[in-house]
Amino acid sequence: MSTETMFFVLGVAVVTSPAALVAVLGIPPLLGRRLTEQTMNRYTYASTVIGLLASIAILAIMLIADTRFVPIELGNWVVIPQQHFHFHLKFVFDRLSVPFVILSFLLCGVVGAFTSRYLHREPGYGRFYVSYSFFTLGMIITSLAGTIEVLFLGWELVGLSSALLVAFFHERPTPVRNGIRVWSVYRLADAAFLVAAVAMHHLTGAGDFSSLMGSGHWPAGQAVLTSHQALLVGLLLLTAAAGKSALVPFSGWLPRAMEGPTPSSAIFYGALSVHLGAFLLLRISPILELSFALSATVVAIGLITAAYASITARVQTDIKCALAFASLTQVGIIVAEIGLGFRYIALIHIIGHASLRTLQLLRAPTLLHDYHTLENAIGGHLETETSFLGRLVPAPLRDWFYRFALERGYLDSLLDECVVHPFRRIFQWCDARERSWTDWLSGGQSRASDEVKSHSEIVEELRL
Amino acid sequence: MTKSTLLRKQAKAQVSGKLEQLRVVIEHASHLLPGQGPITAFVHHNTLHAFEDLPFEQAVVEGGKTFGCHPYLPENRYREKLARNRIRPEDIEAVLIDDLGPRADELLGFLGTRFHLRMGMLAHPLQTGPAAELRWVVAETDALHRFREETPRTVRDRLVDITRRWVMRDLRNGSQPENCDLRIRELVNKLFDRFDKPQVESWEEATWEAFCLHLLWLICRDGVQKVAVAKQSKPPSVRHRDWLLDATGEDSDLLTHDVMIRFCAAFLDQGFSSWPLPRCEGFFNTFVEQYGQTFGPPNRWQRGLRRQLVRIRNESTTPLESIAESLEYLGVLEEEQEEFVTQTLLALSGYAGMIWQVESNSDRVAHPAPEGTLIEFLAIRLLLDRFAIGNVSRKSLGYTGPLSELREHIGKRTEIDSEAQVEQRAFLVFQLSQLLGWDSETLYQLPAEGWSTLVREIEAFSGLERRRIYHLAFERQYRNQTLDAVAIHSRRVWKDSQSKTTSERLRPIFQIVCCIDDREESFRRHLEEVDPQCETFGAAGFFAIAMYYRGVAEAHYTPLCPAIIKPKQYVDEDVVYSFEKAGEQRRRRQRLIGTVTHRSHLSSRTFAGGWLAAVFGSLASIPLVMQIIFPRAASRIPGIFGNLFLPPVLTKLQLERSEALPGQEPGHIGYSVPEMAEAVERVLRDIGIKNIFSRLFIVCGHGSSSLNNPHESAYNCGACAGARGGPNARAFAQMANDPRVRKLVSDHGLQIPKDTVFVGAYHNTCDDSVEYFDLELLPTTHKEDFAKVQKVIDVSRARNAHERCRRFQSAALDFSLDEALRHVEGRANDLSQARPEYNHATNALCFVGRREWSRNLFLDRRAFLQSYDPKQDDENLTILTRVLQAAVPVCAGINLEYYFSCVDSAGWGAGNKLPHNITSLLGVMDGAASDLRPGLYHQMIEIHEPLRLLFVIETTPEAILKIMEADEGIAKLIHGHWVQLATLDSDSAEIHLYQNGKFSLYQPTIAELPECGCSADWYRGWRNHLGFAQVSPSISKQVGKS
Repeated sequence: MSTETMFFVLGVAVVTSPAALVAVLGIPPLLGRRLTEQTMNRYTYASTVIGLLASIAILAIMLIADTRFVPIELGNWVVIPQQHFHFHLKFVFDRLSVPFVILSFLLCGVVGAFTSRYLHREPGYGRFYVSYSFFTLGMIITSLAGTIEVLFLGWELVGLSSALLVAFFHERPTPVRNGIRVWSVYRLADAAFLVAAVAMHHLTGAGDFSSLMGSGHWPAGQAVLTSHQALLVGLLLLTAAAGKSALVPFSGWLPRAMEGPTPSSAIFYGALSVHLGAFLLLRISPILELSFALSATVVAIGLITAAYASITARVQTDIKCALAFASLTQVGIIVAEIGLGFRYIALIHIIGHASLRTLQLLRAPTLLHDYHTLENAIGGHLETETSFLGRLVPAPLRDWFYRFALERGYLDSLLDECVVHPFRRIFQWCDARERSWTDWLSGGQSRASDEVKSHSEIVEELRL
Repeated sequence: MTKSTLLRKQAKAQVSGKLEQLRVVIEHASHLLPGQGPITAFVHHNTLHAFEDLPFEQAVVEGGKTFGCHPYLPENRYREKLARNRIRPEDIEAVLIDDLGPRADELLGFLGTRFHLRMGMLAHPLQTGPAAELRWVVAETDALHRFREETPRTVRDRLVDITRRWVMRDLRNGSQPENCDLRIRELVNKLFDRFDKPQVESWEEATWEAFCLHLLWLICRDGVQKVAVAKQSKPPSVRHRDWLLDATGEDSDLLTHDVMIRFCAAFLDQGFSSWPLPRCEGFFNTFVEQYGQTFGPPNRWQRGLRRQLVRIRNESTTPLESIAESLEYLGVLEEEQEEFVTQTLLALSGYAGMIWQVESNSDRVAHPAPEGTLIEFLAIRLLLDRFAIGNVSRKSLGYTGPLSELREHIGKRTEIDSEAQVEQRAFLVFQLSQLLGWDSETLYQLPAEGWSTLVREIEAFSGLERRRIYHLAFERQYRNQTLDAVAIHSRRVWKDSQSKTTSERLRPIFQIVCCIDDREESFRRHLEEVDPQCETFGAAGFFAIAMYYRGVAEAHYTPLCPAIIKPKQYVDEDVVYSFEKAGEQRRRRQRLIGTVTHRSHLSSRTFAGGWLAAVFGSLASIPLVMQIIFPRAASRIPGIFGNLFLPPVLTKLQLERSEALPGQEPGHIGYSVPEMAEAVERVLRDIGIKNIFSRLFIVCGHGSSSLNNPHESAYNCGACAGARGGPNARAFAQMANDPRVRKLVSDHGLQIPKDTVFVGAYHNTCDDSVEYFDLELLPTTHKEDFAKVQKVIDVSRARNAHERCRRFQSAALDFSLDEALRHVEGRANDLSQARPEYNHATNALCFVGRREWSRNLFLDRRAFLQSYDPKQDDENLTILTRVLQAAVPVCAGINLEYYFSCVDSAGWGAGNKLPHNITSLLGVMDGAASDLRPGLYHQMIEIHEPLRLLFVIETTPEAILKIMEADEGIAKLIHGHWVQLATLDSDSAEIHLYQNGKFSLYQPTIAELPECGCSADWYRGWRNHLGFAQVSPSISKQVGKS
């Protein structure tokens, strides 16, 4: 078997194993067959192990054969000749995607194993695993994407499954409300992404990264855009990345997303999902090089996020939010590193941070046990001390910063007041106009829905 | 003095009187807040403690109304139990007859007797719902086409026949319509339009069935319209938020709670956040300072908050004044003040309760709250409420007037929806007609008064009443089963004891005293099965040693005694002298490792430290994968390393003090000899040991250790206030071995033989390990005895693990003993395990008496077992009184907390464990932010059966009545039926059951109990609850492989 065929077979295995998992977990319930917990675990285990082994094998062959770039072409799926558009399914194994894929399989596998016991007997067991399989598939597709359309496909799968996992406990209102909030921030990011993709098509004639980045392979690519074009596309992609990675000003959703069960939190914020923005920036890093303004913006956003998150993390009183902001601090630093052009460091940083944070999140429910152990070891209450920087700030300002951090930097309020509120006002105004117009036309009340009252009948069995 | 100053003074006095009254109102309301303290020292208690003065059945309804929770399980859950025979039809009958008394046989016209009607209503589920849903059911399902499937064929045929006859005879157009028949004509003609009237003679069976049901439905609707509209019993809320929520669907509490939760958590924080809240004096001032600063959050709804706070600061308004101001601002009338304050506090009851706990039990936490914090909490809350309510009413109602008139503006809140009531009542009658065979003609002929009676009778037996009856039947089932088993078993024991001529008792091989905990029941049973010549006892697991204890590797003193006792003595664990150097070394190393770990944890959350940590973070993936995939193996690694680097260290208890008074200072630590003797004698007397001591006497405390479990301390010994009871057992053994103590004890007539040695032990109920203390002090003569005992205990704990495994769905039913032990060890160390063990789940019984009466009886880990011998007690029942004073409140507290968390897991309990988020090191929230969740979480109670605890006490009814007279606490629980009570007479083996204020002789309903050779023969292969069985070693077979 030639190296190419081996690459092809293994590459297809890497992509199809999570896709197959989606199918085997998702289709039977649609046909009315419930899978047992054991069956689901077995499928998940098999899919992760196959994917992981195949990606490690690819890495090994790449090292032996000294290849740095392995494209897997799966042909054009949609071709619209008039519009010069083709949806080209292409996956790429290179120095960026291989570590990321291995990391994804490893952490998803660990979380899958963890969940198998954590969610035992939970009514939403199957639902969790279906969302989880979509998440894994999304992660793999995003990491391996060779064209911007394929990346978008994976990006959307991750977004959708994340929002569903945030709202996993849908019998309570708060998770659903927060899930919708996460989802709407994601939509904003996705819109920016989509515009960027169209712009790239328009500018380079294709969504293929290799034609975009020119000859070299990651990280040595040379983009073929002008500096202005790069700034435009780059800023759009930066918006997309900021939404996905909860960078300032979108950070507010991150603590709210702590509604899901622990393992799902672990894979979004500790590990994978929150790094996707950084991954996107790494993927398009040749574009960043073209425009100084763009890189400067990236560094600035990264540093602002890191500073904001590290202040906010210090005042959090619950373990999950503390970890969420701690993650965000590092993601900010990673983004700044990317802006400064340290790509390998950023990659190592992502991998290390993801593993560490997953461990910490999975241990989060054991916090009291661990605190007790530590207190005993140290022989007293655990001390907290103000940081070096904190001591330099004068006291009144410190108080102000405390409230600023307690209120999470006002980011949510700012978004609500400056974006959501005007937006709503406009539509309410439109609605009022429409109503007066239709009322005038029908010569009276025109909306039947106005009459319907929310019924508050008492059903004794439901509530006393 | 001028007149004006006098007036001013009067006004002032009036104001301060009002404020004082307000303080009383708040104090009163605070009793309703959850009584659970910090989660790190979890003490089980009755969730409805505030309602204990009422009888149980009334209290659950009252409490349910106050807290908005269910008093009993949902009806369908009881019906599931009925289907699985956990409730038997005969129980329902008996309970219903008992409940109705003479009213049972009253005849209600064609409905039959009241008893008959109610039985019919209990037999099958009755669907109800909002009117919209019922309309949908009628229109879209086959409710009007097919009889309910529970309807017997005969009933169905009869109903269809009657309708058919009636229609063909009177309604088709045969006879002349008379006046009274006009209405039915109208109805039937409407129906005929839908059915094929001309072909009426050749209608098929199914068409007649549909026609019959259609007609029945129309008649039911028609009939209930004649009945007066009932006033609905929704408790009127006084909070503006509820009015707004009803009117607009917008919840102003979302805004208030967003700020309150964050601020309360920061205020209460016990040392989690690395930047603590800059506190001023108290909650109120801190909030005023923090939120009175410039450049605050740009939230629209908080506009003006800063101005208010600055005003408060400048005028130095007190919290109480601020509350009075807010109440006035909101237009709260004086008579609704109490209700308003209560409801407002209960809106965020978790935090309010925790503040109250931290304020009133300030010795239990590292950072207590000053007195008056709850009042300050309410002041801030009301202040925020003003802004939130103002915002919502402006935004959604367009109301800009004064908030004091907001409720009038919204207007009458719950207008009674009479149309919905017709729909709901009609549907009930419609279903019952099918189930009980009431035909349409009879119903049609019913006059208005008849309909009123019908509806009144049906509504008198509402869902709540039905659930109560089901619940009583459910309890009766278990009670009768238990009392039958006890009766049969005790008669056998009694006969055996009568036939024995010699009263000489053999010296047991060994004796062991365990905690009364229900989890030790199986452990003791297995010990007795493995070695029938051993003797086991049960006593409250702190073994009468109430102490503050600090272990050698522990930072703080922990109280090891029931929560109601405040210990006097302090006990330290020290490294023995010859190991002091090694111990010091070890402690230094521990401190180093601890400090490094803590620092790296904290700094991994910061800017620079996090960077370093993250770069090397990939190393973290190794322990991560290990811990998740191989939990049991991973847990052993630190142990192996520990042993490698450090020599073993021997410790001893510093148990005896040299100074007169107990205290924390050197010399004051420990007990005096008479105090020791008192504790030792007390336990030995309580368990009724009768001067027969074996050579080895094991004292076994218990506790539990698990990961992924914020509620870990709830699994520990209840008698040690949520701590581990090992040190108590160790201390007790050491005291009892002391010759000076024995001398004092023997002076009181309790002879402990010279060759009896006490050994302390600790049973971990999660991984079923047993460790022993101070074995180096064991005399050489007893080495062999101990080796034997250890072997027995090792087999027993494996068997115990095996029996526990039947309850775990993830453990196979065909495990061998070794596999079972490995499984429970894995569970204890598994980061992802949500159910390390089942704790007190399934508890239902408490046995107070000699072990003979329950020995060899399979109690399925459902029984607290307290040893007590009435023969040893004096006339004043000193022993029984003190035993019950501990056992009744503690066991009832555990049982009732399980009851409430089980009947409404989301309401009384802590809900699902999976989204729990530890906050402020004090409690758990759901997800990112929510109120604190007291109570037990769902995974803990999922196999529990909510039954009131049944006490079976070996004594006479007169004795109990005497104790109840003397002790108010016990009397309240027994009189109010918060616990069930039966006595077992040791002289005649007769059982008396306490019901409705008096004792009556219990007649067993069965004559035989199943028998098995060993417990495993009985429980093997079965996951659900098991009945009682007699374990007769004579027909023993060997279990498992080992």
